[in-house]
Amino acid sequence: MRSRRGLLLFLCRNGNWFVKYQTVQKCFHNHHHLLSSTTPKPCFPSSTNTTTLFNHRSYSTSGAAEMNPQISNDLIKIMENRLSAIEQRNNYLQNFMSQPEASPSEYSRANKELRKIRSSMELITQLRAKQKEIDGLKSLIAECPEDKDMHDMAVEEMDEAIEEENRIHNLLLKSLLPKDDADERDCILEVRAGTGGEEASLFAMEIFRMYERYSHKQGWKFEVVDVMESDLKGFKEASGAISGSGAFGRLKFESGTHRVQRVPLTEKAGRVHTSAVTVAILPQADEVDVQLRNEDLKIDTYRSGGSGGQHANTTNSAVRMTHIPTGLTVAIQDERSQHMNKAKALKVICAKLYELERSRLHTSRSKLRSEQIGSGDRSGRIRTYNFPQGRVTDHRVGITHHSIDDVMQGENLDVFIDGLLLKQEMDAIASFGSDE
Amino acid sequence: MEELYALWKQRIEERRPFQYIVGCEHWRDLVLSVQEGVLIPRPETELIVDMANEVILKDKEMKQGVWVDLGTGSGALAIGIGRLLGNEGRVIATDLSPIAASVAAFNVQRYNLQDVVEIRTGSWFEPLDEFKGKIVGLVSNPPYIPSGDITGLQAEVVRHEPKLALDGGANGLDDLLNICKGAASFLKAGGFFIFETNGAKQSKFLVDFLNIQMEGSFQYVNSVSDFAGIQRFVTGFRK
Repeated sequence: MRSRRGLLLFLCRNGNWFVKYQTVQKCFHNHHHLLSSTTPKPCFPSSTNTTTLFNHRSYSTSGAAEMNPQISNDLIKIMENRLSAIEQRNNYLQNFMSQPEASPSEYSRANKELRKIRSSMELITQLRAKQKEIDGLKSLIAECPEDKDMHDMAVEEMDEAIEEENRIHNLLLKSLLPKDDADERDCILEVRAGTGGEEASLFAMEIFRMYERYSHKQGWKFEVVDVMESDLKGFKEASGAISGSGAFGRLKFESGTHRVQRVPLTEKAGRVHTSAVTVAILPQADEVDVQLRNEDLKIDTYRSGGSGGQHANTTNSAVRMTHIPTGLTVAIQDERSQHMNKAKALKVICAKLYELERSRLHTSRSKLRSEQIGSGDRSGRIRTYNFPQGRVTDHRVGITHHSIDDVMQGENLDVFIDGLLLKQEMDAIASFGSDE
Repeated sequence: MEELYALWKQRIEERRPFQYIVGCEHWRDLVLSVQEGVLIPRPETELIVDMANEVILKDKEMKQGVWVDLGTGSGALAIGIGRLLGNEGRVIATDLSPIAASVAAFNVQRYNLQDVVEIRTGSWFEPLDEFKGKIVGLVSNPPYIPSGDITGLQAEVVRHEPKLALDGGANGLDDLLNICKGAASFLKAGGFFIFETNGAKQSKFLVDFLNIQMEGSFQYVNSVSDFAGIQRFVTGFRK
């Protein structure tokens, strides 16, 4: 449809071409007719025109400096398969949702999936419209080789349309790259002091604060869940809940061992020590993802023993929640009522279960990102904070930032995060074709 | 400083409950105003709202009907349930104590629920005549401690909290039995009730009482444990 409008504008500016506008219309009609009829092949005469067009498609825009790099034909073929699969799935889900007998949880799951593919679907719709337009133009070009003006104009339109198709292809490719379902989620940050005693605890606290500041800068909400302090007010262990759009997606590569090199406060002789803290980023889950059954949860309070109820007055509202099948236990006591502690405990249990489930899936799933970047597992040091030299180096992407203070203030973490995300994307493109 | 010291002394020497000193109690997601003469709502009682919520989520009629909270005290249960009902249903809360009634009314105002929750002064069902046979849900945390046990309660409780809200007569069942009988005539068919009790002994007695002595009035009568594993509540439905 847009091409017709395009033609119309073009033609109106040159009033004397108006007659040709009608020709165009007619061609379109013809074309539609061809498509809708049962004629096996819409007639593209294998004229020179068509050949040049295809050449154009394959080679002419493949320059390295192009904004939208040309995607290879193989990749496009693979992509087409995926696209039709998505379209089918979309139709199926739409149908499913309109049936009244769907249960609320099924409904909400279907809805969730639909939401996930919605952005791809929008692109696919655009792409289909473009392709239809290109087909239309092709037949137009085929039908009026004798009219030079008409022909030139159609070719020009065609170039634009193909450029546009290419652009949409690129966007689609990006949206099809294996995305971590959890990227959009909120997450839970856990920092633990590793080797290095007090010094490690102090650094654990600084790292924890660094993420807190970074979260605030991103406009995320940062909530301290639990802190276990060391003697010098460092953190032996600390966890926080971070909520905000894309929190997990941006922070997931922070998981791993962070190494610090500096003269610790506790060091009298002025020697540089190396210590380590581990960081884990767990995606937060909602209850739909983790099929949590009430009967699997055991909740108890620290009041057992007394008669409770009206007998006692207490300000202790701690709650301990145990997930019986896995034996996971969390104890929460920092909220002010039992009800709120319970709600928070449930949130933490859900997140832990979700992570368990994810890592189970993860181990059985493809190689893609994780080995290279090391998301999730805590092995290997990923970054070094060297205070004497005032630098922070990320060992996975080989990026060094020379203002350590800014990093610790949560200022320039993006340098690393963007680098890691880019690396992930490139790895994913590299394995997109071979993944089939 | 001196004032703080005096408060501290009250807390340590007189064992004045912390909640009376600061004038409020955190209960569920609420902050409720409390003062001497009003029972401080207990964490166990929070569960009553959860159980009421389950019933309300299952049945639209429950959300649109009239609920009552007998012996509301600070208004905790009435407010907790009022917030579940939105603007569709109503809660009538009664209390014999004028102090409790005024504190409850204050708390209701605080959560801007005056259109949903109404406080009436009077004993149990007494101020509820016009709702006979029309109530969809009944909740209560009545006094259930046997008179003989009162002196042995935690000092904070026995020295400072109102006896009226604690003492349930010789075996602690005076008011609970009263409420059970009232439930039969005030609940409409299918109506839901839940009471807090002193524990396993009372719960078992009440379940039997409702099933046998009041045979034919109720169904699905059950006792439910609190998080400490004590059979704390009795629930059921009017037939």
